[in-house]
Amino acid sequence: MWEALSEPFRYRKPTKAAKEYKEQEAGVTVKRPKQKAKNWQATLKRVWSYLAHRKGRLSLVLFMVLLSSGLTLLGPYLIGRAIDHYLEGPGGAPWLLFLVGLAAVYVCSSLVSWLQNIWMISIAQETVYRMRVDLFGHLHKLPIPFFAKRQRGELMSRMTNDIDNVSSTLNSSAIQIFSSILILVGTVIVMLLLSPLLTLLTFLVVPLMALGMKWITRRTGVLFKERQGNLGDLNGYIEETLSGQRIVKAFSQEERVIEEFGERNRRIKLSGFWAQAISGFIPKLMNGLNNLSFAIIAGIGGLLAIRGAITVGVIIVFVEYARQFTRPLNDLANQWNTLLSAVAGAERVFEILDEDEEAKDETAAESIESVQGEVVFSHVSFSYNPGEHTLKDISFEARPGETIAIIGPTGAGKTSLIQLLSRFYEADSGNITVDGHDIKSIRRESLRSHMAFVLQDSFLFEGTIRDNIRYGKLDTTDDQVEQAAKLANAHSFISRLPGGYDKILQGDGSGISQGQKQLLAIARAILADPAILVLDEATSSIDTVTEIKIQEGLQRLMEGRTSFVIAHRLNTIRRADQILVLKDGKLLERGSHEELLAKPGLYSELFHGHVQLQ
Amino acid sequence: MPLFFRLIKKYRVAAITAIVLMLVELAVELVQPLLISKIIDDGIARHDAGVVLIWCGVLVAGTLLAFGAGILSSFYAAHVSQSLGYDIREKLYGKVQAFSYSVFNRFATSSLITRLTNDVTQVQDTTFMGLRFMLRVPLVVIGSMIMALVVHAGLGFLLLLTVPALILFIVWMVKKAASLFKKVQQRLDNVNGVMQENLTGMRLIRVFVRREQEAARFARHSGELMQSSASALRLTEITLPFIVLIMNAGIIAVLWFGQLEIRAGSATTGEVVAIVNYSLRTAGALSALSMLVAAFSRAHASAQRINDTMETDEETQRISDETDKIEETIMEGSVEFDRVAFRYPNTAAPVLEDISFRASPGYTVAILGATGSGKSSLVQLILRLYEEDEGNILIDGRNVREWPIRKLHDSIGYVPQEVVLFTGTIRDNIAWGLEGVSLEQVTKAARLAQIHDTIVQLPNGYDTLLGQRGINLSGGQKQRISIARALIRRPAILVLDDSTSALDVRTEGALLQAISSLRCTTFLITQKISSTLNANLIVLLDDGRLIAQGNHMQLMASNTLYRRIYESQFGEEGSHVGSLK
Repeated sequence: MWEALSEPFRYRKPTKAAKEYKEQEAGVTVKRPKQKAKNWQATLKRVWSYLAHRKGRLSLVLFMVLLSSGLTLLGPYLIGRAIDHYLEGPGGAPWLLFLVGLAAVYVCSSLVSWLQNIWMISIAQETVYRMRVDLFGHLHKLPIPFFAKRQRGELMSRMTNDIDNVSSTLNSSAIQIFSSILILVGTVIVMLLLSPLLTLLTFLVVPLMALGMKWITRRTGVLFKERQGNLGDLNGYIEETLSGQRIVKAFSQEERVIEEFGERNRRIKLSGFWAQAISGFIPKLMNGLNNLSFAIIAGIGGLLAIRGAITVGVIIVFVEYARQFTRPLNDLANQWNTLLSAVAGAERVFEILDEDEEAKDETAAESIESVQGEVVFSHVSFSYNPGEHTLKDISFEARPGETIAIIGPTGAGKTSLIQLLSRFYEADSGNITVDGHDIKSIRRESLRSHMAFVLQDSFLFEGTIRDNIRYGKLDTTDDQVEQAAKLANAHSFISRLPGGYDKILQGDGSGISQGQKQLLAIARAILADPAILVLDEATSSIDTVTEIKIQEGLQRLMEGRTSFVIAHRLNTIRRADQILVLKDGKLLERGSHEELLAKPGLYSELFHGHVQLQ
Repeated sequence: MPLFFRLIKKYRVAAITAIVLMLVELAVELVQPLLISKIIDDGIARHDAGVVLIWCGVLVAGTLLAFGAGILSSFYAAHVSQSLGYDIREKLYGKVQAFSYSVFNRFATSSLITRLTNDVTQVQDTTFMGLRFMLRVPLVVIGSMIMALVVHAGLGFLLLLTVPALILFIVWMVKKAASLFKKVQQRLDNVNGVMQENLTGMRLIRVFVRREQEAARFARHSGELMQSSASALRLTEITLPFIVLIMNAGIIAVLWFGQLEIRAGSATTGEVVAIVNYSLRTAGALSALSMLVAAFSRAHASAQRINDTMETDEETQRISDETDKIEETIMEGSVEFDRVAFRYPNTAAPVLEDISFRASPGYTVAILGATGSGKSSLVQLILRLYEEDEGNILIDGRNVREWPIRKLHDSIGYVPQEVVLFTGTIRDNIAWGLEGVSLEQVTKAARLAQIHDTIVQLPNGYDTLLGQRGINLSGGQKQRISIARALIRRPAILVLDDSTSALDVRTEGALLQAISSLRCTTFLITQKISSTLNANLIVLLDDGRLIAQGNHMQLMASNTLYRRIYESQFGEEGSHVGSLK
């Protein structure tokens, strides 16, 4: 019994150190711009900029709040009058009239507060919707390296938990905060009119309140931020282990991930406990002060009434007003929890919005209508991190329609080269041109629309197979989709699937094999009909039998397009017009299969290495 | 909900303490109007300052008592709700981990994530509120009614009349709102699903310039979410104005009849004032209700979803069971398939049919076949990620189902087709799942996997952090780390599911060479005929059937398909290089 009773007081204080450790562990080494502990003003201002979209309706709500606050003030005042003038009086018509008036005030009050809430909800929901869409849109403008450095679950958490918090706060708290302030001001005015002395006494509690609130909020701000951070961390872990469930299972690591999950779970329990317990003081403090002012008014008011300085009605009005005076504060306090986590959440959302976008296209950047497919790299160097050299002084030239095979040991920089061409990353020095235009002068989307990619991890979206093939080009007929699938040799397996082209694939493409995914990706590229084609290990998971069959389709696909092919299979490579041999970021050799074989070098070495395996 | 009550039982002492402390606060508040009526009737009316001061002192004392109780209750309520949230998360995560792989795949990952995070937080926060406010509302209402009856039975009765109407209304509202919020939660799932997909497929979306379409899709789902949230909230917002209206009607009635009673001399002003005060308090308490109703409905829907997951049929995998008694470990690594057939749950067509072969200890078994011919499914059966429907799989002569799953997995090094790496350092990833592994062992595994040289060139070497799915390494590097993770366990059986696809020929050759020195039974799913040449056994699959098995020479002699594959990869080059020499 004692054990259970003392439990809440045995929580360890959460330490900053624990948090730092966590960040380190999560690999969040990216610098976070604008991450001040809290920048309330700026954050609120930005939330406001979203709300401002519905100024018209918002001012209507504002008006309603004004009205309902007035009616709220009128209620107790009328009751006070009733006590002083009518209760002990003779009744009759004036009394009846008075009650009818009171009823009218009550009905209006309910009606107005209903309307204001309903309107506010639509404003709030729209605001959150807009924030979501903005955030989503912004994610698509962020440079690819951003995603390489972030945990997906943590990003997810910002999109979901944090925005949710903002949503629930706007739904209920926004109006309450505003009307609280109005009622507060109105109450003070009416109180001063009724009895300045009692008003002054009621105000005795204000400094106490300020003091208490300061003590509390100084702690909760940090605690809530920490709790949200821990939540993001926990979500990241959940996401990772659930997405990698196959490995967890195959290595029988269920117990261990449960244990590690437990560690994070404990952390969030700890920070959650303190955040909740301390922010829970706020309503208690308010209640306490409320009760205190009640006692003061009843006591001093009673003494004043005995002397005849005030009436009983005034005491009653004061008691009710004093509550109305603390109740808005109480409401504010109740909303404090949500408000705190909402501001913390909004801050985290805005952090993402503040991430620099992919460097804006140059102002002079233009769209290019048609592309021949001439690609020239001249003296291109690039590194992911300063000090490393991923690509060094790469120069080559691809004429329209040529097939360029890029080979080299793993880590030689093959994929990086492609990333530069698609402008996922920007070269540190040197130029890349397409049809003579520096790619930096072409709008990214325009550039990419002339390219199609078949990547190693062929990613499929939740949706039908048809939609997935059509992904690169929406305005195509079902016939064209099937045609592309046939060329990619995907048609036969698709027709065998239950549902055929309309079979819905799960997000991770489960239900079909890796090789089948690659076939769909190839069909997708065929349909996209680009001038420049990039095949990054596109056929690595396709078996040889199937590859023989789609070779013709691939050949047809590459015909008339400048194609960059990263591959290991010699029969793919040897057909290329040019072969680029990369090693350690340097272009060692360049030429056709025959040319390269004729001279000693890495290529002929690799080629012989291949043969030696026999 | 049953889960909720089962779990909260553990904290009943703290929960009850929180409630008792809240009752103390409440009692203080409920006595206030009574004391006010005393001050009016006994003090002011009789001009007795002493009485006023005494009652005032009582009020101040009560205030302090209530404040102390309130602060304490905050600790207890936070303790209960956080512990409850912790327990639910732990149970739920444990449950999800206990799902067999096929049950796991029934859920969308994004939905499981929402359940583990959003839903739990929802339940937890509502519990906290519940312990502090939710009970408070009915208690204030009931307490006020009782006090009103005590003060003046006749007038109190008027107040009592309003209650049944309110209760009916609230019950209706909670029911209605729960279903609406369930829909909200479903749509939230959709929004999160799109989000997750986009984060995963960001590159592809970029290269296909599908930003606008994706944004439109996201906007559509968000729009649906907005609509259902708005309609759910709009409904709950009726609650407050309606309740207040009813209570105010009660106040008007009290005033009307109170005035009559005072004139008849059967009530005092103080009593009427007290009753009006009680109705105002009731209205005040109820005004918090619409927020509570909304929160409760949401929490109810969340609890339901958590419950659904927890009660997913018990087809969970036995992590430990009676087979744990088996002391032996897999030593030799012989694997035998005996007329094995398999189909995925809820599908009609079998993936594998009538598969029989035997791999002696130390064998290298190459599995070859067209895309979709069942190669991956076959090796997943060895791991018991899925279980065969017919036939037997024997390891070291014992049925796989009889091996303790832990021992089975400890003895099998599995490298899946898709690389899965975890956040953490390279060292952590290689040593993943093992305890007390020395750097030496890690380095050794990395050397075997041909990744050591690459790792030491990284700025932080083995301590380099990997982002999610090891995104800052190339595909081939990730594959080799994943292979090192399998090798460090010194497995008796090694399963490489097309795990060398991103490696160049030389690296792959070196890797296979290193593996062959390990003397473990190796299953090699591959596309490259070069890797099958040295295999002891080649299993050729086509459309779920085993169409040929044997070594390279045997298959060359007996199987036309195999010959064609060989020729497509080696025929020409073979002669070409031959001529070069």
